[in-house]
Amino acid sequence: MSVKIRKDLAFRRVAGEMFIVDSAKARLHELNGPAALIWEGLSKGRSEATIVPAIVEEFEVDAKTALADVRSFISELVTAGLVEGEI
Amino acid sequence: MELVEDRGSQNPFKPAVSFDGRTLKIKRGDFDAVIDTRARTGVVKVSPTEQCLDAFLRSLLSFLLIRSGGFMLHSAGLVKGGKAYLFPGISGAGKSTLSKLAAGSGGGGVISDEINILRLEKGRWRAFGSPFWGEMRADGRPGSWTLGGIYLLKKSAANGISICAQAQSYKTLLRCLVNFSKDAKTAALVMANTARLVSASPAGQLKFSKENADFLRLIG
Repeated sequence: MSVKIRKDLAFRRVAGEMFIVDSAKARLHELNGPAALIWEGLSKGRSEATIVPAIVEEFEVDAKTALADVRSFISELVTAGLVEGEI
Repeated sequence: MELVEDRGSQNPFKPAVSFDGRTLKIKRGDFDAVIDTRARTGVVKVSPTEQCLDAFLRSLLSFLLIRSGGFMLHSAGLVKGGKAYLFPGISGAGKSTLSKLAAGSGGGGVISDEINILRLEKGRWRAFGSPFWGEMRADGRPGSWTLGGIYLLKKSAANGISICAQAQSYKTLLRCLVNFSKDAKTAALVMANTARLVSASPAGQLKFSKENADFLRLIG
C-alpha cells in the first residue's frame, strides 16, 4: 500500500470525529469510528501493518476483518480523490 | 487604499483570493484588489456600486479575520443583557425571521441578520457589529459584546432549547463560516479557529416558533 493524503486538504479531529475540508471542491467530509482512525494513521504516514492492529484493538474485531475494512475504506478514499497512490 | 473606478463585468461572481505571504489579491468580475499587507497599502479597481463594495469588504474582512484568530459567520446576532448571542445558519434557516421577531418585540437588539464577526480577545470571544445585513437591510450596529452563547436554529411549532453535540455544532459553524480562500493553510486556520470557539462556547439548539419572540426568554 502506498497512498498519501492530498496535500491541499485540511483536517482536524473534533469531539472524536475527523473533519476534512477540501477547499478546492468546497466540500466538507466527516469521518467517525474506524474511518477516522484509518485517516489518522494515513496522516501520520503509517502503513497497513500498523493501522490494522490499531483497528483490532480499538474496535475489537479480528485481524482479517480489520484488514478488509482498511483496504475497502482506503479504496473509497482513492475513488473520492482524497488520497493519492496505489493500494 | 486607493480606489479606482472600473465597472468590470458580472462574471466571475465568486471572489478568487490568493496570498503569497505579503501580497493579497482578491479578484472578481467587478473588482480587482492588490494589497501589500506589510506596507498596508493597496489598489482596488472596483465597480461603483454598493453591492460591489459590499462584496469586496466581505472578501477582505473574512481573510483578515481568519488570520487573526477570528472569522465572519453567516448568523443572526442579538444582544441581550449586554451579551451577544449568535444563531448560525445557512440560507433559509430562519436568521432573518428570528431577527425581525426580536427587533419587533424590543426584547433583543439586533446586531445583524446576516453576518456577524467573532474575534478572540484577551482569551474571551467577542462579537462585533458589521456593515453586512440581509433582508432587514438596516444600517450596521457598531459595537462589540462578550459572546454569551451560540444556538443552532431549528424552526418549530414550539420554542425550546436543547443541547447540541459538539461535532454537530462544529460542522454547522464550518458550513456557516465566510471564507473565499481555497488554499489549505486558510482552511486549517478556519478549522483551528472554529475548534477554539466550540471548545470555549458549546452551542445549544434553539427551536423557535415564528409566532412571536417568546424564544428570547430561553436565551441568556
